[in-house]
Amino acid sequence: MKYKAKLLPPVELPELRTVGKPLRRVDALGKAVGATVYAGDFTMPNMLHAKVLRSTVPSARIKRLDVSKARALPGVVCILTAEDLPDAKLVTDIPGQTGQKIRAGSEAQVLASDRVRFVGEPIALVAAETLDIAGRALESIEVEYEVLPGVFDPREALKPGAPIVNEPDNVVARWKIRKGDVEAGFTAADLIVENTFRVPFIDHAYIEPEAGVAWVDERDVINIRVCTQVVEHFRSIARAMGVPHNKIHIQGTMLGGGFGGKEDITVEIFLALLARHTRRPVRLAYTREESIQAHCKRHPFIITHRTGVKKNGRVTAAEIKMISNSGAYPYLSPYVLLYATIMAAGPYRVDNLYVDSVSVATNNPFTSAFRGFGGAQAAVAYEQQMDEIAKALNLDPLEVRRVNYLKTGDRNATGQVIKSAVWLEETATRALEALGEKVVSPGSIKVGQGFASYMQSYGRITWLHDTSRAWVSLELDGSVVIRCGVPDLGAGQVNSLCQIAAEVLGVGLEDMTIYSTDSALTPLAGTTTATRQLYMSGNAVLQAAGRVREVLLDRASKYFEEAPEDLDIADGVVFVKEAASRRGGEPSSLNRSIADSLPLAELAAMCAAEGLPLSNLALFRAPFTAKLDPEDLQGDVFPDFTFGAHAVEVAVDTETGEITLLKSVACHDVGRAINPAAVVGQIQGGGTQGLGYALTEEVVVKDGVIQTPSFAEYLIPTSRDFPTTEAIILESGTGVGPFGAKGIGEPSLTPAAPAVANAVADAIGVRIHELPLTPKRVLAAVGRARGIGD
Amino acid sequence: MLPEFNLLMPQTLPEALDMLAAGVPDAVPLAGGTNLLVDMRGGSRRPSVLVNVAGLDELRGIRQEDGHLVVGGGVTVAELLDDPLIARHAPVLRGAAAVFANPLVRNRATVGGNLVDALPAADMVPPLLVLNAEVELVSKDGTRRVPLEEFIVGARKTLLQPQELLVAVRWPVSPPHSAGAFRKVGLRKAACMAKVDVAVMVEGDEGGCCRQARIALGAVAPRHFRVHAAEDLLRDQPLTAEGIAEAARLAAEAACPRSGSEYKRQVVEALVRRLLTGVADDIWK
Amino acid sequence: MQPRIVTLNINGRRYQVALDPNVTLLHALRDLGYTDVKNGCEKGDCGACAVLLNGKAVNSCLVLAWQADGAEIVTNAGLGTMDNPHPLQEAFADTGAVQCGYCTPGMIIAAKALLDRNPHPTEDEIREAISGNLCRCTGYGQIIEAVQMAAKTMDNETMNNEQLGGGR
Repeated sequence: MKYKAKLLPPVELPELRTVGKPLRRVDALGKAVGATVYAGDFTMPNMLHAKVLRSTVPSARIKRLDVSKARALPGVVCILTAEDLPDAKLVTDIPGQTGQKIRAGSEAQVLASDRVRFVGEPIALVAAETLDIAGRALESIEVEYEVLPGVFDPREALKPGAPIVNEPDNVVARWKIRKGDVEAGFTAADLIVENTFRVPFIDHAYIEPEAGVAWVDERDVINIRVCTQVVEHFRSIARAMGVPHNKIHIQGTMLGGGFGGKEDITVEIFLALLARHTRRPVRLAYTREESIQAHCKRHPFIITHRTGVKKNGRVTAAEIKMISNSGAYPYLSPYVLLYATIMAAGPYRVDNLYVDSVSVATNNPFTSAFRGFGGAQAAVAYEQQMDEIAKALNLDPLEVRRVNYLKTGDRNATGQVIKSAVWLEETATRALEALGEKVVSPGSIKVGQGFASYMQSYGRITWLHDTSRAWVSLELDGSVVIRCGVPDLGAGQVNSLCQIAAEVLGVGLEDMTIYSTDSALTPLAGTTTATRQLYMSGNAVLQAAGRVREVLLDRASKYFEEAPEDLDIADGVVFVKEAASRRGGEPSSLNRSIADSLPLAELAAMCAAEGLPLSNLALFRAPFTAKLDPEDLQGDVFPDFTFGAHAVEVAVDTETGEITLLKSVACHDVGRAINPAAVVGQIQGGGTQGLGYALTEEVVVKDGVIQTPSFAEYLIPTSRDFPTTEAIILESGTGVGPFGAKGIGEPSLTPAAPAVANAVADAIGVRIHELPLTPKRVLAAVGRARGIGD
Repeated sequence: MLPEFNLLMPQTLPEALDMLAAGVPDAVPLAGGTNLLVDMRGGSRRPSVLVNVAGLDELRGIRQEDGHLVVGGGVTVAELLDDPLIARHAPVLRGAAAVFANPLVRNRATVGGNLVDALPAADMVPPLLVLNAEVELVSKDGTRRVPLEEFIVGARKTLLQPQELLVAVRWPVSPPHSAGAFRKVGLRKAACMAKVDVAVMVEGDEGGCCRQARIALGAVAPRHFRVHAAEDLLRDQPLTAEGIAEAARLAAEAACPRSGSEYKRQVVEALVRRLLTGVADDIWK
Repeated sequence: MQPRIVTLNINGRRYQVALDPNVTLLHALRDLGYTDVKNGCEKGDCGACAVLLNGKAVNSCLVLAWQADGAEIVTNAGLGTMDNPHPLQEAFADTGAVQCGYCTPGMIIAAKALLDRNPHPTEDEIREAISGNLCRCTGYGQIIEAVQMAAKTMDNETMNNEQLGGGR
């Protein structure tokens, strides 16, 4: 079927000077020449090396823990166990909150004292003069376990009599949506389609393993240099250590990837404890195997869709059940479940919707945030369900979606009105058009095409009362400084802020310097998660820079004797717009005369001499709403949403089960691309992570033990695995982010895996209901298809 | 982190052999280290003495002599991939080198190391089996040659004595009207361990008759093996589609007897069939 | 276990260091301050530790420092600086090939090794050459563009040098 792109509504986006340009990012060259210092690249004089002793069994009581031999080794300086840290409990609840109450039951032990609940659970900390000695000390620690029955399947964990991992009944969270009347909806349906889908544990697999250095200084402040997505963890660390908040100082580094895996506290607490106890600098760097074992995983989900539809594809009712595997400790499971629940039905108008979801504790690696945060898992299910509905009704997959797509002004599953552009059809048709006609396939190679539309939240849950702060200052020579606590995961977080400030203040990107990610020295900007930083810190920078600009233009207006709105700043020069345009051509620095232009540096000096503020600290608030009634989850939840689509063509070798991706196209409405090259990078990178989710990645866990402990077994995409995703950027300008931006960080991943699943089902005529789509599963499905065909 | 060990750095082969003879059973040779160092870091191997043989001149070099191709045990997989003699005379081996691990590992991993470690998924083995290769083993006490098929006895088990080094692998240059092919199937398109390795070699005559076929499988069992039943079937026969199909079926049976993996069985059957068909085209079209 | 003095020629500088036999080239380099050489997996799966060893791109985590005694070693930091970046480093910075940057040093080394032997690689050849360097951020698209861009730049430089009568 030939797809034609739907016409876009007319959008007038002003041409900007810096924003919207694919400029070289401010952090790019330092990284390219190897000058950028990452968390594991620090050393300090007199530094100790730390290692963590971890449980080797998934469920046990620690009968005996003897560190005496280890303590006696020459060069071992400190060993800590739970005994040494009686009050150390770690908050694992949603980070970066201000005064919100901590969720009951969300605290985890820093070191296991009595029970261990997953393989890899930390039991003891060692600090020694060398890494070798620390390793030998670890080997000399004696642990005796009394193995207890464990439970590994969440459905088993819900049964009465199951071993209890999380009191009282292994239920970590439940959510439900009650909207409309599903009974009536099912009665009105011409057909009911039911399917169950499963997705596995996934690892973030950032190339930089967790690492850091900590030391105590002369003010008794514990300084921690660490790669983290959240500098606000200083509060939780202070709490765990029984010191005031202002005695923990987190110096966050540029991350070598985060994706949600460095959102929880990782090495920081161990570093702080050892630094405090030894009063020496301490370094801790995870090995890859340790990283895979120690940090959270993406939640496995089992999602069942029961959908009532009319012959034309219109959904009359949907009943969705979700079970997520929380692993051994809750961490962010309740929130991941919430996101999944809210996005369970997808970007569709479903007037009669019941969703029931539960997150269940097991003796598996614990699960927490991962790009998409439940929205990605939900999409794997809802987009495959849509294709199944299309198949059952013998309708085109796009047509089935068209009659159900949300539109601007519609209410989503929680009854929230979506105010920004909802360019679902626009993005899907463009992706499909770019995908083109299916290639002809010879013999045993079957070619299929598939796509997925999606919605992903933009910004954090609004009842968390999210805020961000940024400080922008004009130096006396016309250069600009930004201070903002934002952590940069590698996606260009700090660069976006620089481009925004440069735009507002009329300077070049090369005139910007940003200081970031410091819990004491930069204004706190909240977590780099939830696709929120451009929205929150971008708007904070916009405000702060805007106020500096106001001061400047106000002063300049007196100088020029023109109204401030008749002035502009570009290339570091303030000028009178009309005068410039009277001379013809664009208002630019080339088009100036001394009478109607003034270098920014001179204006800054003028302002400074008169005591006018050349800097501003802005606080940006997301909408503050009330927590929803958990009985029906109806109300506003997110500041905004991003919409888009991903389409792929695959060739399935029906004799070997191998899947080859022939083509990949993604189209997203990002509202406004602050740096288009960075947006392309996110679409291609996030898309590739999603393709890996569909085809090559799984943390295989057997009875609580990870069977894929390194990058030799846990396979992320290489350069040979997939063609480059063609990125089509649409800009509706309607996002709540600066300049009308929406998000792309998480959205880029969300539709990729279901697109692949749909393409494979199209190729072989039969659906595989779980990811990844391994050759083994493909061959089994092909066998089933043959059986059906006979 | 690597455990502690002593590292001996011989400058010549005789020096290395002396060191091995003196150091066994604690001393093992270290070449590219791409398996050994990984195992040592992981704790599964803890030799107390390593004898560094990487870079020994006597283990380098690829040459043709006496109607044979000879590859030094210390030749890296990358060197194999780049070599014109290999490209010309042993495309089946080059095919394996091209998909071996990744380009960085290929610059260190040696042919000898791959054979001596004898991991079930060792990619160098199936092509060398269908090339009818033999290994040359040298110790302080002398030299011996062992057919590769006999040399590997099980997963990580070979006939290599502790004081021996694998200095070369050699095979007869393929006659005219012969062709070989290799295919590896893994869980991603590059840089991964084989789930199935298949190598085939057919020596034919002008008339379309297959004089000899050799079929070798890797990764499907603890030990690499030739499928002699299939080879017997094809010997001195015209190579027909039916013959190929039956040979493929026999190979699949040999790879995965009833209780084994249905997936691997199907893949072996498909690959053997395709490779034999392709090789027949190469020879006679 | 006894240390011995090892000579390492790193980015044109000569070092003589006493090292234990169980020290990998990766750790030797990082301890000497070459922290641009990254530790991603320490078993040859990720390529983040790649350096040129006598011109060949290798995982420094799989080379013992003693095995590199006397060798010429080039790390990414040796190819160029902030003031004078290598065309590959410029291209990586310009195309968006650098996101988190952690795979970048090893990736550039692999690309350099490719361009040294094959100044005009096809896209397939580039993909093959970097197939041992894992990137989790970019999806490789802008990295491939960067290598292509650098190949053109280096081609032009070679042409310019030849026109000016100089060699390379």
